[in-house]
Amino acid sequence: MLHKLHTMPILELQNLRKYFATQKAVDDISLTIEKGQIFGLLGPNGAGKTTLIRMITGIFYPDQGEIIFDGKKFDPLNDIVHIGYMPEERGLYKKMKIGEQALYLAQLKGLSKHDATTKIKEWFTRLDMDSWWNKKVEDLSKGMSQKLQFVTTVLHNPKLIILDEPFSGLDPVNANLIKDEIYNLAKGGATIIFSTHRMEQVEEICDHIALVNKGQKMLDGTVKDIKHNYKENLFRVSFSNKLMAEHLAIHLFQVKEKNEHEVVIKLDPGYTNNDVLEYFIHKGLHIESFNEILPSLNDIFIRLVEDTPAARQFQQITA
Amino acid sequence: MNKILLIIQREYLTRVRKKTFIISTILFPLLYLGLIFGSTYIASSTSSVLRVAVIDSSGYFDKGKIERENLKDSSNILSLVNYSADSVKANYKALGYDGFIVVSPESNWEAGLKLSLQTGRTLGIESSSGVQRKLNNIWDGIKNEKLGITDSIKTKLEESTVTLRQQNFNDTTANSGVATGIGYAAGFLIYIILLLYGSQVMMGVMEEKTNRIAEVIVSSVKPFQLMLGKIIGIGLVALTQFFIWVLCMFLIYNFTSSLGNGVTANNVIGGVQAIFTSIDVPLILGCFAFYLLGGFFFYSSLYAAIGSAVNEDMREAQSLSFPITMIVILSIVLLPGVIKDPSSPLAVWGSIIPFSSPIFMMARIPFGVPGTVPWWQLGLSMVSLIIGFIFTTWFAGKIYRTGILMYGKKPTWKEMIKWAIKR
Repeated sequence: MLHKLHTMPILELQNLRKYFATQKAVDDISLTIEKGQIFGLLGPNGAGKTTLIRMITGIFYPDQGEIIFDGKKFDPLNDIVHIGYMPEERGLYKKMKIGEQALYLAQLKGLSKHDATTKIKEWFTRLDMDSWWNKKVEDLSKGMSQKLQFVTTVLHNPKLIILDEPFSGLDPVNANLIKDEIYNLAKGGATIIFSTHRMEQVEEICDHIALVNKGQKMLDGTVKDIKHNYKENLFRVSFSNKLMAEHLAIHLFQVKEKNEHEVVIKLDPGYTNNDVLEYFIHKGLHIESFNEILPSLNDIFIRLVEDTPAARQFQQITA
Repeated sequence: MNKILLIIQREYLTRVRKKTFIISTILFPLLYLGLIFGSTYIASSTSSVLRVAVIDSSGYFDKGKIERENLKDSSNILSLVNYSADSVKANYKALGYDGFIVVSPESNWEAGLKLSLQTGRTLGIESSSGVQRKLNNIWDGIKNEKLGITDSIKTKLEESTVTLRQQNFNDTTANSGVATGIGYAAGFLIYIILLLYGSQVMMGVMEEKTNRIAEVIVSSVKPFQLMLGKIIGIGLVALTQFFIWVLCMFLIYNFTSSLGNGVTANNVIGGVQAIFTSIDVPLILGCFAFYLLGGFFFYSSLYAAIGSAVNEDMREAQSLSFPITMIVILSIVLLPGVIKDPSSPLAVWGSIIPFSSPIFMMARIPFGVPGTVPWWQLGLSMVSLIIGFIFTTWFAGKIYRTGILMYGKKPTWKEMIKWAIKR
């Protein structure tokens, strides 16, 4: 616990609530996000992610609850300068020239014209966008304009960067580019909140995640911890020998899948990896690989979010 | 505040640099110029000098009198000829005449003359009335001679006349003719500006939604700042365009009137001076500026609210803005009634309610303050307009902040009002 006293979390959400006429968009959510984290905010469409983000960026005001930004009560007017936000519904003034527009957006964030120009030039050079300065946004391809949008989001060196579905519509090359930039920014001390419903992207990039559904928080922890919480003791073992029926005893594990050289087993309660390894070795099998199968975030997500009796039962057990 | 200035600057510059702005700003004065020159050219090329032969058997007309009149009015030339009527009729073209008049030998100066201008083709009314005027001038001279009316008697007769002028004893400088003219002009001007630029604001506000940049901007500035910046920026564009037009028309007017007849120019200048002495120019200019600005902010806020609520579809925007536009049009429709009786209840109350006050009050003010418009009415009207536009701006701000982030079905006015009331 001691290390936490050294750095204040960049963002603390305390019991936030936001209600609209027809629904409880955010229904008592609390989160803590530490500086330098790449934090994944996950959830299906309509879960309340966007509403939550709009409260963090000062676009909406919470009906109840507190937002603490960098140790102080969140003050939209002044703190907005330290936040960069790329919304899901994003665009730029089509008919405006790129350089001029980037300058305008940076100045709106509080940068001086001089500083903004310097920073824009730096980013443009780094991302190979120098020739774009006098082009109009409508002349760009979709991938190019996404790149531009990203640049305008991070131009003013914000402490907190919020990206809502940043990879949607990007080709793999540009997606990779943006991913690298995200890592760079985090290394440089910025905190990134990355909101998406695409789980595979999250597993790769985020260290810490929160899963939101129907306005409430379902999960909150590191990717590793969460996966371990939901593990089902599944293992994939492959052998150089051919598998025979007698190799697969029943009291140690259950067989979920098998083919000639590979088996997926679920450990019975009370038994460990080592027990299984000893057993196979004892049976004379040559083990080529032995891997735990952790559930993907996608699987966990589906399990938690699906409103089926099985899922609800599952939720009761893990709650 | 700084951010609002940034927004104003951006809105202003992007619009002023657009080709459409430059074209429409230059086009209008060019059209005006073209109209003036075009019409004068057409007029002059079609109207040539009318040449009329006068066959006088009465002896009343002599060359001298005719020459003198010809000098005064050169749009037609009368010439005394010795030919017979028949030979002129047969040869008028060859002789260079358009027509002829026969004065019979039995003519009597006391009975007057009934003459007929014989022409080969039908002339317009203008041409024959010009000839009639000239003939009457000559005839007046002949009558005066016969009656023994000397020039001095003639002068005495002309000088003694009765003239009647209306005067408001509460406001001795007012002139109802001038006031009516200015009232109409001012009211109409404000009407045009409100409608034209109100809809520009509405379309300008839709820009953020169409480009889907609304959320990005609103994460840097408050929606209210964005809205205000847009309204002021577009208002300045309107002002610039308007100013250029007025300047161009003024220059064109001076230029063309200096080309034209010296007498006409002097008359106009004299007329303009008369206008300026009968009204309080600083007051009218000041009030005009106030009501123009106030009316603009009052209405463009409402137009901004509408623009933010609709989803890129111009027709949606037009149908929602219909009630607002109707109110403005109603003001203009009722304007003649206000000018006819500037102290009627319609005029008084209409010039206090902010919806119609910019147009109605500006129409009433030239009739005299405090004569027709007591100070308390003016004051109440101004305060009410200020409160009015503060309210519509606040109201629009609330609608705007919800509207620009909303994509989906078209809202009704009822829904929009709900947005305004909630936090």
